[in-house]
Amino acid sequence: MASDVDTAPLVGRADLVAAVRSALLDEVAQGSTAAVFLTGESGVGKTRLLREIGARLRDGGALVLTGTCLDIGDASPLHPLLQALRRFDGELTTSHARTSSAVRGLLQMFADETAGPDGAGALLERVSRGLHLIAEGRPLVLVLDDLQWVDRSTRQLLLYLLAGLGDLQLSVLAAVRAESLQGAHPLRRVLTELRRLRTVRVLDLAPLDRAGTEQLAAAVVGRPLSPEAAEQVWRRSGGNPFVVEELARDVRDGRDGLSDTLREIFLSRVDALPQHAHTVVHAVAAGVEPVEHWLLANVVRLPEDQLIEAVRAAVAHRLLVGADDGYRLRHRLVAEVLEHELLPAERAALHRRYAEALTAAPADLHQARLAHHWRLAGEPARALPAAVAAAKEAERLHGYAEAHRHWSTALQLAGATTGGPPETSRVTLLERAAEAAHHCGEHARALTLLEELAASDAGRPACGLHIQRARYLAAAGRSALAEAEYQRALDLADCTPAERATAAAHLAELLLHLGRYADAGHRAREALKLSAAVEGSTSEVVLASAALGFSEAYLEDPDAGLAVMRQALETAERAGRPEDVACAYLHLAELLTGPLNILEEGVVVARRGAERVAELGLGRTYETRLLAIATNGLFRVGQWAEAEKVVAAALRHRPSGADAVELLLARCRLSVGYGDIEAADRDLDAVATVLAGGGARHVLPLLTLRSGLAMWQGRHDLARQAVQRGLTESRSDDGAIVAALVWHGLRAEAEAHASRTVEVDQTAVRRLRGVAERVARRSAGAVRPVRSVVDGFLALCAAEVSRLDGSDPELWARSVAEWDRRNHPYPAAYSRLRQAEALLARRSRSATAAALLRQAYQVAQALGAVPLTSEIRTLAGRARVSLEERTGPAAAAAATGGADRDELAVLTAREREVLAAVAEGLTNREIGQRLFISERTIGVHVSHIFDKLQVRTRVQASAIFLRNRSS
Amino acid sequence: MAEPVWGPVHRDIVDLLADRPADVPAVVDHLTKLQDLLVRLPPLEESCPLADFNKLYLTITESVLNGLYDDRFSDPVFLSRLDVEFAARYFDAMRLWTDANPGTPRAWSCLFERMRGPDARPLPSAAAGVNAHINYDLPFALVTTFDSLESEPVDNTDQHRDYLEINDIFADKIPGLRRGYLDRWQLLIDMLNGDIDDWYQGELVEYTRDVAWRNAQRIWRCRHDPDAHECERTRLDENAARLGRLLLSPLGAFLQ
Repeated sequence: MASDVDTAPLVGRADLVAAVRSALLDEVAQGSTAAVFLTGESGVGKTRLLREIGARLRDGGALVLTGTCLDIGDASPLHPLLQALRRFDGELTTSHARTSSAVRGLLQMFADETAGPDGAGALLERVSRGLHLIAEGRPLVLVLDDLQWVDRSTRQLLLYLLAGLGDLQLSVLAAVRAESLQGAHPLRRVLTELRRLRTVRVLDLAPLDRAGTEQLAAAVVGRPLSPEAAEQVWRRSGGNPFVVEELARDVRDGRDGLSDTLREIFLSRVDALPQHAHTVVHAVAAGVEPVEHWLLANVVRLPEDQLIEAVRAAVAHRLLVGADDGYRLRHRLVAEVLEHELLPAERAALHRRYAEALTAAPADLHQARLAHHWRLAGEPARALPAAVAAAKEAERLHGYAEAHRHWSTALQLAGATTGGPPETSRVTLLERAAEAAHHCGEHARALTLLEELAASDAGRPACGLHIQRARYLAAAGRSALAEAEYQRALDLADCTPAERATAAAHLAELLLHLGRYADAGHRAREALKLSAAVEGSTSEVVLASAALGFSEAYLEDPDAGLAVMRQALETAERAGRPEDVACAYLHLAELLTGPLNILEEGVVVARRGAERVAELGLGRTYETRLLAIATNGLFRVGQWAEAEKVVAAALRHRPSGADAVELLLARCRLSVGYGDIEAADRDLDAVATVLAGGGARHVLPLLTLRSGLAMWQGRHDLARQAVQRGLTESRSDDGAIVAALVWHGLRAEAEAHASRTVEVDQTAVRRLRGVAERVARRSAGAVRPVRSVVDGFLALCAAEVSRLDGSDPELWARSVAEWDRRNHPYPAAYSRLRQAEALLARRSRSATAAALLRQAYQVAQALGAVPLTSEIRTLAGRARVSLEERTGPAAAAAATGGADRDELAVLTAREREVLAAVAEGLTNREIGQRLFISERTIGVHVSHIFDKLQVRTRVQASAIFLRNRSS
Repeated sequence: MAEPVWGPVHRDIVDLLADRPADVPAVVDHLTKLQDLLVRLPPLEESCPLADFNKLYLTITESVLNGLYDDRFSDPVFLSRLDVEFAARYFDAMRLWTDANPGTPRAWSCLFERMRGPDARPLPSAAAGVNAHINYDLPFALVTTFDSLESEPVDNTDQHRDYLEINDIFADKIPGLRRGYLDRWQLLIDMLNGDIDDWYQGELVEYTRDVAWRNAQRIWRCRHDPDAHECERTRLDENAARLGRLLLSPLGAFLQ
């Protein structure tokens, strides 16, 4: 009998196992991430493969954590990870004291977690730090089975870690049931997005082929099958390994099984069970897996020896499997088969016993399981408090999606009971459910719950309801309705002054987003007047001032706007909460770097604000955001080395979500400028990974960068594709972003034309020009700050179009002027290069062209913009223009022929810093740690330094550095 | 050994399906390539039932693409994702059919089965494809799109208006393909969007083109409940399959 439980050999998957092993272990670069998702139908062998590959990875020196997602729809956030950690903890022996304490530390962290602002993001950061400690430098592999049942929190965690934001070398191996992906499963879209990344593989597991089927069947039977039997097994199983194995067993044992689907196989086997074993299997099917032995004993109420005998029989009949942490059904289909076998009363009795046993002894997922069992036991009054506790537990771990489901269950349960403590009153439950729904983005549901709340609580003040409804509507993007709700709140006579101030301030903000600047200003003034009379309404002051500041800036009285915003900052510093101070800094920095285009000052404010909010303890959230603003400002004014430093500092906080996307894009922009293709690719993939989680709409900047990168690589076709995708996914009211994209598109066509590598796509050109015209038309009617952002890009567009048909130097000169006026040296230098090119092509005014090239060269050199520099050099070489002539002190010194000329003048500030460290004898990794940038980026800097100094070794470079420093 | 599912172009189709288009231009490109392959299928070249649908779908998707370029929609992010997700389901169905997977939606397999039949007529075939695609695929594509954009199917929103705009494109293009069949096509379109039971039993039902949208809202509400979700899926699949078989039966010939 025992041999029957032994697993049959793994057939036909050797290549797959090897490929996955190397994808998850051998091919993963130091500090990178990788993932393999296995999809396949039930019985195709996913779980088996996870186990097999997990063992190989463990042998390869990886630390493997294994968890399973649960099919009770109301599971708790991050359950699979917690389960994996507990399991791992159980496996550790005393010899691994350090690892064990790291695991316990992380588990304790979950136990201590409390709900708070940005809790979800901070939790992600702490999880990755904890995993880092556990891994102790080993590669970490997270193996997750039944991923189709994953909770939203775990899904977000996986994407965060895979994007590399946790700064952790990690591989993920997960199995997904293919049937589940057929409908509207959220993983469908996630997998589609991830599939395109180089570090992710989605493998569709096919059934075995004919030869594999026969090999497996022969292994089970112990000898080759007769041709008829083999044919029959093949025909009936369709190559599904599970079914093959069972049919082969029937052949071996001379049974004449008629079942050829998984369901039928299980059904016939259940029928054959001895009575006690039958009871055990039913009990496990009603439980939440794994069912612990003590729990099972309490539920089936058999004497110990009879229980063990029954369990053994169920295992021998291949329905049950046992492990250290408890019992599981061999396949979830068993539970589905059994569901129709029990009478409702029998099922309820089983759940009651579970609930009673769990009430007496707490276990994992305690409240969620209690709520589940009491509900199915038909005891709503006892399920209710457990559901409430489970909801609170989920909220504690920031799992609002899961909390919302528990609150909804609690509401249903409350409908079936009467009395109870106020904590479970209908009104309280509706309030909590609505807030949780709002937090997890179920806006329609939040609004419905709010309506129920209004209907069931007649005494509730109407004003608060209007404001809450407006908040939900605004979050759902239904602005017109939100505006009307705020208006209703303001019109009510019984509104408190504080509520009135809140409504007016939020309304002002809403109007600003709708582009109704005059209305926004009007509302903001009203809000400021109202909040002046209310103690403790600093948040409203800050919000209203920001709205007023922006509306004044847009309506062309920037000074008035700035003054209001500065005043608000002072108010916040004097009386406000840390969040108010942080918001005030954020709005001021956005105003300066945004519509006002006072970049230098904006950068100073952002960096000063970042320091200040870090002191106030808001480093992770607001400091990160302020540093993102500073980075983007620094990039535009051409202080790339500084921008690089700031973005590295910001990423040290391991941000998540939209903040992370913003920073990764900022860093990528720098990498594209530097021509560091590998780093840029990595950041683009990381952004795509985060965006696969849904929600954010940052695709346009992503695609613009992708096309810019492709152009530096001479892949104009790829650049074109990225732009086409962007054009079909953009709204024309995103003026500047669309204009930047269109410029990239036209530039790609112009480059294709110039390089003759790819044919110019005339349809694309026509479309791009059409979009450019549309953007121009729209921006013509816009206020000046909006227009001015767009104009620079439109100038570039017009000039690129001329390149398709004899480049027009006049148009390029106009673009130069546009960007000079806005103080953006990088696009200005690019435009100068093209203007020079156009002039040279017309064989006119070559002196002007030479001057333009030298100017462009100087800027590009100082930025460290390698691809642009090399284009300038190429053109200069062709035109025989000397770039070094009269280019500044270095050249001047060279002209005098003195030995004291500064050879380091060709280096950027950042490169000089790197070179200084090289001269100290530090490795790239050490330099990276000192300067807070990645090892790879240092490598790029070093190669640029070698290139510029025309040396080949670190020693030579160091010699030049020391020589120049001493002189 | 049986002949491969896609006959002489089997390899090409399998290769094509291995690639998964990620944006609307890529979907159009994909459908174009597929069209070139499908018309080469025996027995009667140029008259493969699936090619009739594919051609219609290609025309419609091209119109959507042009609409996107021309700024015709108010939420292009939503619409382009929906279009990609919608098309992915058609390609998925083909992939499952290629693998002889029993999980192939029945709404589709009733059309795929007819691929070899000589009696399929272009109009009902295209209609059967439209039926599977709208009555079965569309509601799920809507739910997936909303879920990934962290938005919701709410009436009278920008997304809803864009969605209805697509319906207009369908209505525009379908009669345009075969002049003279306009009235019948109109009847067919109304029918396609209705529930087969309602239509079949001739009950008085208010037909709107909004049925897929309503179904999406239904699925949306139970999307976290695997059992209820599977129930909805089966219901839609069965309804669409019944209507599909009807269209492909001799009865469907009245359209010709």
